[in-house]
Amino acid sequence: MPSTSAVAKATIDEIPTMSGFDAGGSQLDTSWFLFLAAILFILGTIGVLIRRNPLVILICIELMLNAANLTLVAFSRQLQNLDGQLFALMSMTVAAAEAVVGLAILVDIFRHRDAEDIDDLSEMKG
Amino acid sequence: MAIAIFFIAAAMAVAGGIGVISFRQPIRSVLSLVVVMIALSILFLLLSAQFIFVAQVIVYAGAVMVLFLFVIALLGPAREIGRGRLRFQTALSALFVLALFGLLWAMLQGVQFRQPDQTTDMSVFGTVQSIGLGLFTRFLYPFELTSILLLVAAIGAIYLSRREGDDR
Repeated sequence: MPSTSAVAKATIDEIPTMSGFDAGGSQLDTSWFLFLAAILFILGTIGVLIRRNPLVILICIELMLNAANLTLVAFSRQLQNLDGQLFALMSMTVAAAEAVVGLAILVDIFRHRDAEDIDDLSEMKG
Repeated sequence: MAIAIFFIAAAMAVAGGIGVISFRQPIRSVLSLVVVMIALSILFLLLSAQFIFVAQVIVYAGAVMVLFLFVIALLGPAREIGRGRLRFQTALSALFVLALFGLLWAMLQGVQFRQPDQTTDMSVFGTVQSIGLGLFTRFLYPFELTSILLLVAAIGAIYLSRREGDDR
């Protein structure tokens, strides 16, 4: 028979807190998140390698950056250290800046000529 | 419960990722990426990163994706036609990607994750309060530097997208 304090503790633990998923989230293994991030990163890599449209290649780079963000947040949770989440915020900012500049360059290129294939943009090959 | 949510969100993310690389029209790729972003935001919530969840929905699924949609609307619909000049590109990239995935998978096998150094109060972990405290105390310089980075990106985008006759 459990002692009364144990019963009281169990009842308190069942009360949902502000971070409602917190209690359930701890059952999740960190390696699952890392595995999912690896799959998403690989999908982004495939896209960068086989797609021809420069716009789609930018989209695939965003996918890879998101996978890296998931890794950062997963390790932040594993180590119970907030630095990973702060770094994920920084990388989100960098990704936004990258998207803005990349799209501006694309618009500038498309204004002068049609570049549907990334292989047409090889003047800087040297 | 949490495990079920994880697997639903993971399936959404992987399906969206496959959609990103397999749709022919760029606009469908962008909409698939929105699905990935939403699924990832659910996963961030599972990892008790509430502020990152909100930022992911607003910044990524909102702002960045709308930017991509605007550019597609500006440039008009473009379908991918024909194949590349490199004939073996698909097979070759499949080989390299498989090798990379094998490396990542092998790295994840039997990893002993380091345990947390000190026990943190998990009820405030990842809330706006704790994120703001970290961002404005220990991470103040990186935070200010990202604002400079955003300013530079905005100026660069304005410069690149000006019209030809405008440089007075």
